[in-house]
Amino acid sequence: MNNFSFYKDGKALYCLFFIWLSFSFSSIFAKSSDRNYTSFFQQHKVQGTVTDGTNPLPGVTIAIKNKKNNIVITDYSGQFSLSTSPFDTLVVSYMGFKTALVPIQGRSVVNIILSYDTTTLQEVKVNAGYYSVKESERTGSIARITSKDIETQPVTNVLATMQGRMAGVNIIQNTGVPGGGFDIKIRGQNSIRSEGNAPLYIIDGVPFASDPIGSNYTGTTFPNVTSPLNSINPDSIESIEILKDADATSIYGSRGANGVVLITTKKGKAGKTKFSITASTGTGTVTKFLKLMDTNQYLAMRKQAFINDGLTEYNFWDYDINGTWDQNRYTDWQKELLGGTAQITDLQGSISGGSDNTQFLFSGSYHTESTVFVGDFLYKKGGGQLNINHHSNDQKFRLTFSAGLNAQKNDQPSYDFSYDARALPPNAPALYLPNGELNWENGTWENPLRNLNTKFESATNDLVANTVLSYELLPELVLKSNLGYTNLNNKETRVIPSTIYNPAYNVSPANSVIFLNSTDRSSWIIEPQINWKKELWGGKIDFLAGATFQNQTTDRNIQTATGFSSNSLIYDLSAASITRILLNDETQYKYQAFFGRLNYNWQQRYIVNLTARRDGSSRFGPGNQFANFGAIGAAWLFSNETFFHDNSWFTFGKIRASYGTTGNDQIGDYQFLNTYTTSGVLYNGTVGLRPSRLFNPDFGWETNKKLEVAMELGFLQDRIFTTAAWYQNRSSNQLVGVPLPGTTGFTVLQSNLDATVENTGLELTLRTLNFKGSSFNWTTSLNLTFAKNKLLHFPGLESSPYNQQYRIGQPLNIELLYKYKGVNSQTGVYEFEDLNKDGKISFPDDQQTIADLNPKYYGGLQNQFSYENLTLDFLFQFVKQKNRTYPMGPAGMMSNQQARIADSWTQQGDVKPYQIATTGYNSDALTADYLYSESDASITDASFIRLKNISLTYNVPLHLKEMQCKIMLQGQNLLTFTKYDDGDPEFTSYGFLPPLKVITAGIQLTF
Amino acid sequence: MKTIYHTTKFVLLFCITATTVSCDSFVEVDLPKSQLTSTAVFEDYATADAALTDIYANIRDTGILSGEGYGISNQLGNYTDELTSNENPGNTSIPFYNNALLPSNTVVAGYWNSAYNQIYAANAIIEGLQTSSSLSAEQKKQLKGEALFIRSLLHLYLVNIFGDIPYITQTDYKKNRVVTRMPSSKIYESIILDLEEAILMLPAADNLERLRPNQSAAKALMARAYLYNNSYPEASNLASAVLNQEERYLLENIDTVFLIDSKETIWQLQSGESGRNTAEASFFTFTSVPPPQVSLSYNLVNSFSDNDLRKTKWIKSVSNGTNVWYHPYKYKENNATAVSKEYSVVLRLGELYLIRAEARARQGDLIGAKEDLNKIRKRAALNDTDAISKEEILNSILQERRWELFTERGHRFFDLKRFAQLDAVLNGLKPGWNTTDKLFPIPQTELSTNPNLRPQNPGY
Repeated sequence: MNNFSFYKDGKALYCLFFIWLSFSFSSIFAKSSDRNYTSFFQQHKVQGTVTDGTNPLPGVTIAIKNKKNNIVITDYSGQFSLSTSPFDTLVVSYMGFKTALVPIQGRSVVNIILSYDTTTLQEVKVNAGYYSVKESERTGSIARITSKDIETQPVTNVLATMQGRMAGVNIIQNTGVPGGGFDIKIRGQNSIRSEGNAPLYIIDGVPFASDPIGSNYTGTTFPNVTSPLNSINPDSIESIEILKDADATSIYGSRGANGVVLITTKKGKAGKTKFSITASTGTGTVTKFLKLMDTNQYLAMRKQAFINDGLTEYNFWDYDINGTWDQNRYTDWQKELLGGTAQITDLQGSISGGSDNTQFLFSGSYHTESTVFVGDFLYKKGGGQLNINHHSNDQKFRLTFSAGLNAQKNDQPSYDFSYDARALPPNAPALYLPNGELNWENGTWENPLRNLNTKFESATNDLVANTVLSYELLPELVLKSNLGYTNLNNKETRVIPSTIYNPAYNVSPANSVIFLNSTDRSSWIIEPQINWKKELWGGKIDFLAGATFQNQTTDRNIQTATGFSSNSLIYDLSAASITRILLNDETQYKYQAFFGRLNYNWQQRYIVNLTARRDGSSRFGPGNQFANFGAIGAAWLFSNETFFHDNSWFTFGKIRASYGTTGNDQIGDYQFLNTYTTSGVLYNGTVGLRPSRLFNPDFGWETNKKLEVAMELGFLQDRIFTTAAWYQNRSSNQLVGVPLPGTTGFTVLQSNLDATVENTGLELTLRTLNFKGSSFNWTTSLNLTFAKNKLLHFPGLESSPYNQQYRIGQPLNIELLYKYKGVNSQTGVYEFEDLNKDGKISFPDDQQTIADLNPKYYGGLQNQFSYENLTLDFLFQFVKQKNRTYPMGPAGMMSNQQARIADSWTQQGDVKPYQIATTGYNSDALTADYLYSESDASITDASFIRLKNISLTYNVPLHLKEMQCKIMLQGQNLLTFTKYDDGDPEFTSYGFLPPLKVITAGIQLTF
Repeated sequence: MKTIYHTTKFVLLFCITATTVSCDSFVEVDLPKSQLTSTAVFEDYATADAALTDIYANIRDTGILSGEGYGISNQLGNYTDELTSNENPGNTSIPFYNNALLPSNTVVAGYWNSAYNQIYAANAIIEGLQTSSSLSAEQKKQLKGEALFIRSLLHLYLVNIFGDIPYITQTDYKKNRVVTRMPSSKIYESIILDLEEAILMLPAADNLERLRPNQSAAKALMARAYLYNNSYPEASNLASAVLNQEERYLLENIDTVFLIDSKETIWQLQSGESGRNTAEASFFTFTSVPPPQVSLSYNLVNSFSDNDLRKTKWIKSVSNGTNVWYHPYKYKENNATAVSKEYSVVLRLGELYLIRAEARARQGDLIGAKEDLNKIRKRAALNDTDAISKEEILNSILQERRWELFTERGHRFFDLKRFAQLDAVLNGLKPGWNTTDKLFPIPQTELSTNPNLRPQNPGY
């Protein structure tokens, strides 16, 4: 099949939609002339303002009872006017408020006050992907946040907006350098493959591939290569729904095992054209440094190490203590290299409005962020989003179009200074000479700032476009098609110019190196669907059937070049004497599915929901491509039973349960083929061919069976609303890269492993409206997750390659460790438990102590206070977990250590927590230090409570009719309470910058 | 407008009906453009040959034999008495220099994994050739001969570094993942068998620039294997088989030994892009002091006589006025040149003379031994050896090997081991030296993924 023609077709399709669109606009005029005509018959003009008691409410729908086609919407100042008969009754409705019936009674000015209705939160339509469902009637497990929560956070990554706010969703930030990524796990780790646990991301109906787009050759600034998720602009998001259980995810079949993240962008609302501008600026700093040794402690440790090793003379290379370096110098390298302040600026603007038939929203954003490192580095992100909704006069035809284009440019050092900041001796020389040049101190050290010259630059452009067309063919029978297109390109470079070396080495530009990575990924999707609704047997039946065709092609090109005549030509490949292509590949992923849903709702009391999907994926070999997935969900709204009707305090009660299967195909493309790949390496003029992998054509889907039972209760008009959900997910037929011994020629093989991983958990949420008054309101919401991960079943684990990684009955994320005993008071060396009593510490028999690094529980507590025009919103995130201490290597060598290491063994009889320091000659101590880092002594409590987000908003009381002004103060990670000693407790990788503390101030104008 | 809605209706209807017509072929995909099926590779000589030569490129760039800093030319130099490391404590050379290797050492794991990966590629060639229908018998013979040569070469290095190891002769991972360690004697038997077969298959003639092993290369390697395995008559005979081809192989003048067209070279690894020279030269050479990476140990430099041409021509000194440092200067081009001048030599005649000298001495042929030894000494402008007894001659051969073969893929370590002199020589010199350091640890990942490889080598 020729991909290129599809690509062209995709473009043609969009041209077509734009033409349609322009036609659609013409109907606005058609409609308005219509309206003028009908208004001729109406006599009475009514106007007024709708408020919540204090503030005007824009966007409120005002209809007239028993009359169609005469609906108006309040403008931004809450005002409306309409013509009707003087004896009609107005029906005033607005999300989150009780619908009011207001008889006109001949008045011409009718001011209306709406009262909040917490119960109507149950009326909110929740996006479940292929369908939407009323919150009260959903049978599946869906967590949700909306723009209200997103807008209070000064963050740029969509995953950051969810941190601490959703039960069952654990998110960890990888690095504090802008442009870095996040790890997300929805209900724990299902796949033994650590890279096979990504959820499915869908933006307005279009799957958004989250597979990394960067390369290890270029993206060395970050612990993980560049993720495309940075492209999504949180400010354009209206809501994020996370689908968790089988009932919600089975309709996504093979891609639903790890949960589904549905992102819905903001839509325009009918009414006066509205402009909104938000500008904010702020700063970011490191949350917490390690407590390292100062010069005195450090030099004492070094000198002691020489004494310990029985050395009487310093070597000429022991510059820190042999007198070469000033021993009175002290530099706090963490402060010096990481102590800067990142400058953040953010600008957002939008225009929205439209008629009853057609609404639009156009928004744009621009964001810049510098780093805490020394030097000038900047991350820039900007984009635009267009959404258009249209329906025909008879409401039969509907069209939704949305397109988002985002561009990012990142300019960073290709090296995270965190490692140097922690390892450099505190008396290391000054960074600069008095004349401003880098100080190499006569070649006695590698100045860390040499790495300012090695740069990482990336530019990413990303387009996600989507059109949904639907037509009501017969009453209650709707045909619908979702057409989506994505296009992403990423270009990254990393340069290592000869200027990173001490000029005394005379390294010429001939040794300068550049790495280039470009990734182009485009995909299209077509999803025709049919939807049928019917009242049947006293209930409502809702049927959906559809199909998916998806094609994704990824082009990658990785090159390197060296041998330049000048460093100023380093970005010019033609100036290099040697260029090499490391990878030049085009891969294709094709996916096809048929899906269906049958929902029956009997009197809003009993609800059954059946979903199914048949999936085919090109990632599997012939015969293994197709598989079926399905689920059943049911709910009983017992509060709607007659025996609860008179109960005034108990307002909502629901029990729901679901069971079903989902799958996982995250194994990469073409893994089933027995092939040779071009190695990109020359030998005697020939580019080599290399075996791609160990060949296994027989692997198939990983399946995940999910079971959930949940209860939802509301009391006192739902002012107290609580849910409790228990789940059990069992993932089997594990699709893994099985680690193999190197004697097989490779260290990994793709295959299905007959192992079962179980995730169980309890998710609790509580939302309370603590106080509600005319000017003061206080709401609290809490989410709390207890999660357990367990390897249930693994036949032959003992003799398998995993026998030193996993234990049956234990979580996947365990570490097998040596059991630490203490420091031997005679030898001064760490000692460990000799489990097999063979007289020495040996692997693997003595490395059997289990440490569980999964969080025991985690959650968030959010409070919102509003008093008159002031709103204060804050979120505490809490995690109960263990993590490793920061490893600094054996003490006594020319590398700094944690201050606590100063308390080390020096002479016989000492009882100390840390072992004898060595310059590297005491091999027992070196071995013991390694064992220590692989022992339970290196595991410590890394639990924390963090003021994740705080936001203070003041609505400036302007006496301008059409203008609204808000002033906002926002903070992220402001306070952290933890017992963890080695810096920020939220990190996944050593030697990388942890998340930053961010404070911003902003202003929003709407008119 | 109406017509547009109608069109939409039909588009949607079409979409729906289209889906009812299932098409399984939708999820079939074409091969990615950078991949070729294994069967196709062996149906065309050009691609089969590219698969074979890639193993040479792989050997040149990664693992044990690589001339880069992580290869044994540097690391075994650090490990013994050839080199002094000036690296930072965190550098991968330091555990080698301090003789403090741990089972978790990534360089050691790299030696193991890349060697077996290269062996896999060689076995894949041997298996692919069996099913190939398009290649001629002649082409198959040459490719298989080279693959067998590669297999035995890598196993020879593995057995000398790790001791008892598995000898891998197939690609089937189901078998290779549960292999057990074979005693060294069995490994040598397999190496000899493979090389005997390779000699039958490889062409006797030279190839351009000696970039591909021929019959003589296999014989030279076999001579080394016999010597290491204490089979002296065979070692001596095979060395003679190459040394006698005087029209083809000659000891060069000291200045030209490592040049591309050296008559002394039996097999060398080409450097890749044209104009590239050796990784050895770019790694070892330094122009500023103190040297950032490694320098030749004073112990080695001071052991040469002052008039030894190898000291004056193969070693270069750099001084800062008070101190002098030395680096190996066998390969002189540490940057790209318009046309490549040096490739990395794996097998050369100098070693063969010393192999035969040692084999002869151990068999009691002291005159023959001295004859061979003096050839090497003469080239270095040294007088004939004054060693008389067998013991003295053997010791001067060990000494001569140190001077002749320094920083050439770990000869010093293998020699000291063969002469059982590791402890005697290194104990005083290297504070971290232990007797058990004569074997590297088996990589920890290997022991955990294949319990059959346990127990770990002693001392780890």
